[in-house]
Amino acid sequence: PIEDLFASLSKHIQRSEFEQAAKVTDQVLRVAPGDEDAIRCKVVALIKADRIDDALSTIQSTKKVPIDFTFFKAYCLYRQNKLDEALESLKTQETNSATMLLESQILYRLGKMDACVDIYQKLQKSKIDSLEINSVAGLVSSGRASE
Amino acid sequence: NPIVLDLAYNFIEFPSLESRM
Ligand SMILES: [K+]
Repeated sequence: PIEDLFASLSKHIQRSEFEQAAKVTDQVLRVAPGDEDAIRCKVVALIKADRIDDALSTIQSTKKVPIDFTFFKAYCLYRQNKLDEALESLKTQETNSATMLLESQILYRLGKMDACVDIYQKLQKSKIDSLEINSVAGLVSSGRASE
Repeated sequence: NPIVLDLAYNFIEFPSLESRM
């Protein structure tokens, strides 16, 4: 039954066995096509298994499913260094800590350091671990190391 | 070049499967 498949999926996720997790999501989807939890897990498992191309094609093949994959899609595009597309994708998304972090990382790669640093300054209240590492990178790269 | 961490990665999270098992 599908409950056993989800139990197995959960076990693989806890053990960081992301390839195995992705395989189980396919088993779920054979029994229950369109299952939103399974699709979400599949995309996340593929990203965490470093299978960015496969994650993107999974997102693209699930257009009929009402899941908002905008953040995941933007993240995959960033990983593929399709930076303008990634930014474009993020623009359609409501702003939160995750989208702001990703945007700042994209801006860093694009060499837009002032915009990158601005976002890190806005994020400072949100207590994100290791944020200062990227913040310093942006400041150093923009010639504002004294800040 | 300064080190830049992929902090956005930490926001790529699995949904809770608690109610599905
Ligand atoms: K950055």
